[in-house]
Amino acid sequence: MHISDGVLSPAVITAGWAITVLLLLATLWWGKRDVDIAEEIPKISVMTGAFFVASLIHVSIGPTSVHLVLNGLLGVVLGTLAYPAIFIGLVLQALLFQHGGITSIGVNVINMGIPALIVYGVFKKGYSTGINPSILGTICGSMAVLISAIMLAIVLISTGEEFTEVAYAAAAANIPIMIIEGILTGSVVTFLLKVRPELLPINKEK
Amino acid sequence: MDYPEIDRYASIDSPIHNFDPRAKIITFMVMIFSFVFLDSITKALVGLGIASLIYIIAKLPKAFVIHRLKVVFLFLFPLLIIMPLTVDGQAIAQYHSITITLEGFQYSSLVIIRALSAVTLALIMLGTTRFDITIKALYMLKVPGTLIQMLMFTYRYIFVIMDEFQRMWKAMESKGFKLKANRYGLSVLGNMIGMLIIKSYDRAQRVYQSMISKGYTGNPGTIVNFKLQAKDYAIALPMILIALFMHTYHLVL
Repeated sequence: MHISDGVLSPAVITAGWAITVLLLLATLWWGKRDVDIAEEIPKISVMTGAFFVASLIHVSIGPTSVHLVLNGLLGVVLGTLAYPAIFIGLVLQALLFQHGGITSIGVNVINMGIPALIVYGVFKKGYSTGINPSILGTICGSMAVLISAIMLAIVLISTGEEFTEVAYAAAAANIPIMIIEGILTGSVVTFLLKVRPELLPINKEK
Repeated sequence: MDYPEIDRYASIDSPIHNFDPRAKIITFMVMIFSFVFLDSITKALVGLGIASLIYIIAKLPKAFVIHRLKVVFLFLFPLLIIMPLTVDGQAIAQYHSITITLEGFQYSSLVIIRALSAVTLALIMLGTTRFDITIKALYMLKVPGTLIQMLMFTYRYIFVIMDEFQRMWKAMESKGFKLKANRYGLSVLGNMIGMLIIKSYDRAQRVYQSMISKGYTGNPGTIVNFKLQAKDYAIALPMILIALFMHTYHLVL
């Protein structure tokens, strides 16, 4: 799912960093409006740590194993602050584990972060129209991975037409992850709703 | 699940280890950004050679670098298979409708060589400094304080949360749970991740309260003072010049 160093063209890398910096500023500014950022920093950090650890879990399917992405869940739980959280998570993954390159962090954060933001909107909207939360969680989990896969393919193709088939292959490889993430996110959302509903964006509006 | 031991060998003594952390970050980032955009295999190989040379100077253990390079190589290896079959160009082998092209082979090798030299440089940059010092150096380089603190706290709590997760995992396994990619396995894993999130959320509240009671205001405090010396310039300058030279040598020569 991550793009490593050396793959993308200078134009795509530059655009990736520019968009990520703008979205970071926007989401942090948006976060500062409702709450004190001094209070949020330790909280988002610990939650980012939890998601970072959860994304190290490998699920084996047949001969290969995939690791969890959880960007849909991040969007549902952290809202707009999912974007800075994903940024921090991916920086640490690139620096500590060499998952994804350093130069491509900007692009990778867009690929993971924008779906998280979209899914947050979908979850809030869907919950207020009364869709069953566990089904909604399943939809959100798979949708985030699906959008990420499509964006990954677009980024790869826009870096050079040589990558067209690679992009299709990479996107297709995400189909099993999509199913796994869907079931998993649905189950996490159901669990959180039972045990600690204030973590979901459903009570924040009241 | 292994701890991220990126700075395990940060206490070795070598010219790169003693390089000022701020100058190290700038120098290596310039080199990484220069090497990932090299446009021919020859240049990329020269880049990889320079990266290996710096690796020898840095005296990092072989296993540390090889193991991590292997992960990157295996990740990019599919390119070597897919691209020769799909990229148009001069055929080097043909079997019925399947053609293997030279261009595809060259392009995918170029990508892999660039990636390997970038990762080698990144490993030297990170492996020769304690990770908390790297983050502090980033703060001195004017990366916004909010992001620096999030990086610092997240890094710190990764270890705690890993322990927490492993405790839960051990409890699950001792009750006979095996993770399989079916509905049951995933929904149990989902509950476990849900519990991990709740535990972390509660921990976050406690952490925040204890930080507030110690006078936390939302600004990072650093007590490390770095000092640039002549030897730092002596290392940084030639390396940055090499990085720039790789892209502009046709103007000079």
